[in-house]
Amino acid sequence: MNRQNRIWRTALLAAPLAVFGLFVVWPLMSSFYYSFTNWNGFNPNYDFVGFANFGKIVTDRLFLNATINTAIWMVAAIVLPTALGLGLALLLDRKLPGARFFKSVFYLPICLSAVIVGQIWIWIYQPDWGLLNTVLRHVTGAEHNWAWLARPNTALWSVIVAWSWQQTGLSMVIYLAGLTGIPGDLLEVCEIEGASPWQRLRRVVLPLLTPSTVVVVALSVINSLKGFDILYIMTGGGPFNSSDTLAMHMYNESFAKFRMGYGSAISVVLFLIAMVVIGLYFRQLRKVDRIYG
Amino acid sequence: MAELTLDRLRKSFGSQEVIKGLDLTIADGEFVVFVGPSGCGKSTTLRMIAGLEDVTSGAVRLAGQDVTRTRPAGRGIAMVFQSYALFPHLSVADNIGFGLSLQRLPRAEIAARVRAVAETLQLGPLLERFPRELSGGQRQRVAIGRSIIRDPRVFLFDEPLSNLDAALRVQMRLEIARLHRRLRATMIYVTHDQVEAMTLADRIVVFNEGRIEQVGSPMALYERPANRFVAGFIGAPAMNFLAPGCALLAGLAVPAGAREAGIRPEHLALVAPGDGAGGSVELIERLGPETFAHLRLPDLPDTVTLRLPGDSGVEPGTAVALRALPDRVQWFDAAGRALAATRG
Amino acid sequence: MAESTPMPARRFDPWPATIFVMLAVLAVLFLLPTAGVVLSSLKTTHDISMGDLWSLPATLYLGNFREALSNPSVHRYLLNTLLVTLPATTGSITLGVLAGYVFAKLPFRGSNALFLVLVAGMFFPPQAILVPLFRMFNAVGLIDTLWPVIVVHTALGIPICTLLMRNFFATVPNALREAAIMEGASEWQVLTRVVLPLSLPALAVLAVLQFTWIWNDFLWPLIFTKSDDKRTIMIGIVNLKGQYSVAWGVQGALSLVASLPTLAVFLFFQRYFIKGMTMGAVKG
Repeated sequence: MNRQNRIWRTALLAAPLAVFGLFVVWPLMSSFYYSFTNWNGFNPNYDFVGFANFGKIVTDRLFLNATINTAIWMVAAIVLPTALGLGLALLLDRKLPGARFFKSVFYLPICLSAVIVGQIWIWIYQPDWGLLNTVLRHVTGAEHNWAWLARPNTALWSVIVAWSWQQTGLSMVIYLAGLTGIPGDLLEVCEIEGASPWQRLRRVVLPLLTPSTVVVVALSVINSLKGFDILYIMTGGGPFNSSDTLAMHMYNESFAKFRMGYGSAISVVLFLIAMVVIGLYFRQLRKVDRIYG
Repeated sequence: MAELTLDRLRKSFGSQEVIKGLDLTIADGEFVVFVGPSGCGKSTTLRMIAGLEDVTSGAVRLAGQDVTRTRPAGRGIAMVFQSYALFPHLSVADNIGFGLSLQRLPRAEIAARVRAVAETLQLGPLLERFPRELSGGQRQRVAIGRSIIRDPRVFLFDEPLSNLDAALRVQMRLEIARLHRRLRATMIYVTHDQVEAMTLADRIVVFNEGRIEQVGSPMALYERPANRFVAGFIGAPAMNFLAPGCALLAGLAVPAGAREAGIRPEHLALVAPGDGAGGSVELIERLGPETFAHLRLPDLPDTVTLRLPGDSGVEPGTAVALRALPDRVQWFDAAGRALAATRG
Repeated sequence: MAESTPMPARRFDPWPATIFVMLAVLAVLFLLPTAGVVLSSLKTTHDISMGDLWSLPATLYLGNFREALSNPSVHRYLLNTLLVTLPATTGSITLGVLAGYVFAKLPFRGSNALFLVLVAGMFFPPQAILVPLFRMFNAVGLIDTLWPVIVVHTALGIPICTLLMRNFFATVPNALREAAIMEGASEWQVLTRVVLPLSLPALAVLAVLQFTWIWNDFLWPLIFTKSDDKRTIMIGIVNLKGQYSVAWGVQGALSLVASLPTLAVFLFFQRYFIKGMTMGAVKG
C-alpha cells in the first residue's frame, strides 16, 4: 500500500512540478543571475557586472518614484475594492427584490479585460467629451476640461478608480459566500445577548468573515502585483512617470530600452518586496488557521 | 426567576400551521422538558419563547408580563444551542463574557464574573483557549457558562446534548441536573431523547404534530399516559400494543369502547406452558442488568417485547408461554384516548 | 432584571427600502461605464462626433459591428486567442487537479512545504520571470509563435488550480476513497471516477477564472508575439486603435465582441461558479 502510494504520488506530481519548475522556478532563478549582468537582450555576449545594477537602483530617481507609486497602487488597489465589495455584500445579504440582478451588475466588470476597462475609462476621463467632465459641467455649470489621465497629480488615482470599479465584484462575490457561511445560530446568540446591529457587525460578522478577507486580500495582492496591463493601457506610466510602477519601470528598462540586466535587477527587487508581503500574509494566515481551521 | 405562560400560541409558516394552539404554564424554578418526534413543533415553540421566531397568534407571558413582541434580549432569557453556537474568533473567556461586554460593563467586573462562572464549570484553566481547541463536552460547558453569567430568568436548552457521545451525554445530563438544583431557575429543555426527558424533568410536555399530547411528571406519563401516542413514545423499549381479542389478553375484562390494549415489557411474565399464551423466542437482547426477549406469538402481527432479569437463560428458538399482569394493561379507544384505568 | 422593550406588531421598517435605493443608485453608477461602450457601438461615427458619446442613440446602427466583424485581422486575433485560451485553461486545470489530489489525499512528509512553495508562486509578480522566459523561448526559436503564451499560462495557472483543487478535494470524505480502493479501484480510478465527478463546482470556478484571466491577458502575448497574425484579441484591439482612431463606434463594437466569450463562459458556469464559491472552494 505504502509503496503504491509512493508510485502514484510521483506519477501524479511529475507533470505539474516539471512544468512549474521549468517555466516558473527556473526563470526566477535565472532572473537573479541576469541581474548581475549587462545583457541587452539580443547580444549573446554580456559581462558579469556584480552589484552594479543594484547600485544603479539605489541612485535611480525613477526607481524610487516607481516604488512609491507601487506602494500607493498596491495599498489602494487592495483596500478600495475590498472595502467596496464588503459594503455591497453586506447590503445584498438579505431578501431583496432584484438581488440577482444587482449581483450580476456588480460582478460584470470582472469579466472585462484590462484593455477594455482601460478603453472604457479613457473615454470617461477624456477631457472634452468624457463622461466625468460632462457630468461635472452639468452639475457645476462651469467649464471643465481637466485631462484626468494626462495630469501628473490625477493620473495614478484615475487608474486606481478604474481598477477598483473592475475588482469590486470579485470581493463582493467572495464576501457573499462568506456571509452565507456564517451559522445562523451565532447571529441568534447576538439577538439573545442583546447586540445592537453595529455591535453585531463589529464584534461578530466582521471577525467571522476573516477567512473571506484572507481570500479577498490574497487575490487583491496577486492581481495588484500583476496590475500592469491597465496602467500600460491607460497611462503607459506617464505623464512624467507619475503613474510609473515597478512593473512598468521594469518593462520599460527591459523591453523599451533593452537593458535586460538592469530590468532583471528591478524584477529581483520587485520579487523581494513581494516575498515580504507574502511572508506577512502567511503569518496572518497561521493565526487565522488556528482559530478557523 | 419567573413563571412562564403560553396562551393559545400559534405559528404558521405560510399556509402551513406548525403550532396549533398551545396552552401551558411553567412554574417558577421548574425544569420542564419538551419531548416529541422530530418536526413535532417543540423546537419552534422554544424559539418562540426565546423570541427568535415570530408568534402568529397567542401570547407568551413571563412573570405576568406580555413579552410576545419583546425582542429576545429584552426577555431575560438565555439559550443553549444544539451546536453550542460558540464564536470561533473569541476565547473561552470572551465567549462567556460576550453578553456582559455588549452592555459595556467595566472590564474588571466582566473578568471577575467570567472567572467565577468558569470555576463552577471547571473551565478555569481553559479561559484563554479558542473553541476549536476544546472537546465537545468543554464546548457545551462554555455555552452553559455564557448562558448563566447574565442571571437569566429562564434558561432554554435546544437539544444541547445531541452532539455528544453516549458517555459524555450521561455526564453532562448530571451536570445540567446539578445546575438546576443549584440555580433553582426556570429551565425549558427540548430533546427527542426520552431518557433525557425522564431523568431531568420535573414535568414533561409531550409534543406531537404541533399540539401538546400530555403534560405531567415523568412517572405520571409513564404510568398513566393520556393516549396511545404518549404511551408509545415514553418508555424504552416501547410499550406492546395488542388487539383486544388476542390470546395474551384472554380472560381480561375489556372496557367498553376499547380498540387496543397496551402493556409494558416489564408487565409481562413467563409462566408454565399451558398457563398463558404460547409463543417462541425470536431474538434476545442482553443489557447486563436486564434482558429483553422479543417473542413471536401466533395471533399477533408484531413481536412482543418482554423484560427478563439479566441472568435469564432464555435462548432464541425456545418455546415459551406468557401472561400479562392484568391490572397493568392499559386500554385505548378508537381515537387513541386512554380509557379509565382498570387497576384497583 | 431586563427591561422589556415592546416592539409594535407591524412597525414600518424603512431599512429595506433605503437599501434598495442605495443599491439601485450604485448599480446605475456601476453600469454607466459599460453602458457607454454599448451606446457608442450602436451609433454612427457621425452621430458620435456631432453630439456626445453618452446619449441614447436615435436609431440602432449595426454598422460598427459589421465593420468590426468583417475585418480579417479581427478573425485572426479571435482565433489566436482561442488557440491560446483553450489549451492553457485545460492544461492548467489538469495539472492543478493532479497536484491538488496528491496534496489532499496522498500527503507525504514535506508535502505541506511543497504545497506552500507552489501556492507562493501565485503571489509573485510575473515581471520577475519575464526576461529569462523571453531568452529561453528565443533560444529555441519559439518567439513570435503562440506556444510560449500557452505554456506560460499553463505554468502560471498551476498555483491557483492546485490550491483550489486541494481545498475542494479535502472536503471529499476519505472514506469514499478508501471504499473505492477496497472495491479494487486504482488511485487513478479513484481520482477520475469518484473524486472528480464530485468536484464539478470547483472545476467550474477554475474554468471561469482561468478562461477569463487568459483570454483577457495582455502582458504575455505582448512580450512573446510580434507579427500581426500572431497577436491575440486584446493586443489587436490596441493595435486597431490607430486604424479606427476616430471611429469610436467601431472601437466600442470591437470591445464588446472581445468581451463576449468571457461573459458567455461566466453566464454558462454561473450556477456552478456561485456554488463552488459557497462550498468553501475559496477558503484559503
